[in-house]
Amino acid sequence: MKAHEIMRRDLSSVELDTPVSEVIYIMEQSGLSSLPVLDEEGVLVGIISERDLIRAALPGYLEMLHSASFLPSLNQLSKRLKEMAAEPVSKYMRTDVIAVRQEDEDLQIADTLIRNELKQLPVVDDKGHLVGVIRRIDLLYRLV
Amino acid sequence: MILTVTLNPTLDKFYWVDRLPLSLERVEEEILIRAKKSASSAGGKGINVSIFLACMGVDTVAMGFLAGHTGQIILRDVLARGVTANFVWIEGENRTNVTIIERGKEYHPVKIHEEGPPVPARAVEMFLRKYRRMLKRAEYVVLAGALPPGIPTGFYRELVGLANEAGVRGVVHAGLGPLREAMQAKPYFIKPDVREEAEVGGLPARTEEEIIQAGKHAVKQGVEICLISHHVTGDILVTPQGVWDLEARVPLSRYKNLVGADDALVAGVLYRLVEGDSVLDAVRFGMAAAIASAEVEPKLCLVKAAIEQEMQQVVVHRREGG
Repeated sequence: MKAHEIMRRDLSSVELDTPVSEVIYIMEQSGLSSLPVLDEEGVLVGIISERDLIRAALPGYLEMLHSASFLPSLNQLSKRLKEMAAEPVSKYMRTDVIAVRQEDEDLQIADTLIRNELKQLPVVDDKGHLVGVIRRIDLLYRLV
Repeated sequence: MILTVTLNPTLDKFYWVDRLPLSLERVEEEILIRAKKSASSAGGKGINVSIFLACMGVDTVAMGFLAGHTGQIILRDVLARGVTANFVWIEGENRTNVTIIERGKEYHPVKIHEEGPPVPARAVEMFLRKYRRMLKRAEYVVLAGALPPGIPTGFYRELVGLANEAGVRGVVHAGLGPLREAMQAKPYFIKPDVREEAEVGGLPARTEEEIIQAGKHAVKQGVEICLISHHVTGDILVTPQGVWDLEARVPLSRYKNLVGADDALVAGVLYRLVEGDSVLDAVRFGMAAAIASAEVEPKLCLVKAAIEQEMQQVVVHRREGG
């Protein structure tokens, strides 16, 4: 099965100058944990996730969360997120984007998801335009 | 690719009942109506057009505003039908439109339509950026349906203008005010419905003669296809090449669900235009798609063979030109 047969044709995304507050709002409303970042031509240029935002707000916070014995206060995180709210997503997005192409095979997609510990992968056409997203569950759903 | 814009999407909810009370006004106690059957699906004119096109194998992207839990349901249904979705999320809750269909009176359904959530200015700005980007990939853009609170009446005019600048053919399938405004920007294809509002582009359209004159006026303004619905089974087509009557020879008793039939008409025309058909052949197919949709309980008939079968029922009569 190829990527275009598996993908969700959902182009929910943000642009380079979208403020962080808007990104969080879209994630909350849409229920997505990460969003592709597009340029003016619709070409995929980055990814922003909840994890990226938390890491940017408080470096080391995510690592602290792994320890049940120490849960830091949320005040600092909240304060820092408010400071970041008006800043463009381009400042915090990851640009080393891992994406698949429409004709890529399911095995290759599964391999990419597993190796990179990703929850979802953007799918792009030959010109790099976003055309869909494959979540781990999309693949599992079709495999079962 | 065909882009569709549904600014006020809906979750269409259908109930089929054996009998409705003769008059709701006379009843003094609460009324319980048991539905024999129910169904729901993503809707709004543009979304219906996209669903039809995707089913016919046409690449289509649906745009508009989604909100809340209902928005999630709409998105899920749109994606499941093979439509690409590119919506802007707003606060609130998308509307639910209820249609109650009584056995034996299928062509007179009872409808309850909600208003929809208000759209904030920031969301409109986000939408316009997405819209401009998507126009670069589109061949046609369909601007369809009601405007939600917060959207000015002239919004479709702006969207048609942007489509023209991008070399994309604009299709307007909307009510009186938004259509009248949009016509100023010279859309390629309009589909007024004078059964609801007897006017096209500011001109009266009560009689067939008035309808034709209004259609010709639209064509003079730059519209290439003006397809006017004037009764359940009849449309008038006005183009720069001439005027045609299209009549579906189908008794009303065969209709099971009229909701979405006019969207199937627009979608059918576009499907055949992108396939390379002439305007007249495309409109014949569109009308057949509308009849086929009205004859089934689901909102849209998505079986191509059934639509092609209905083409035999569509009679075309040339009035002028051609």
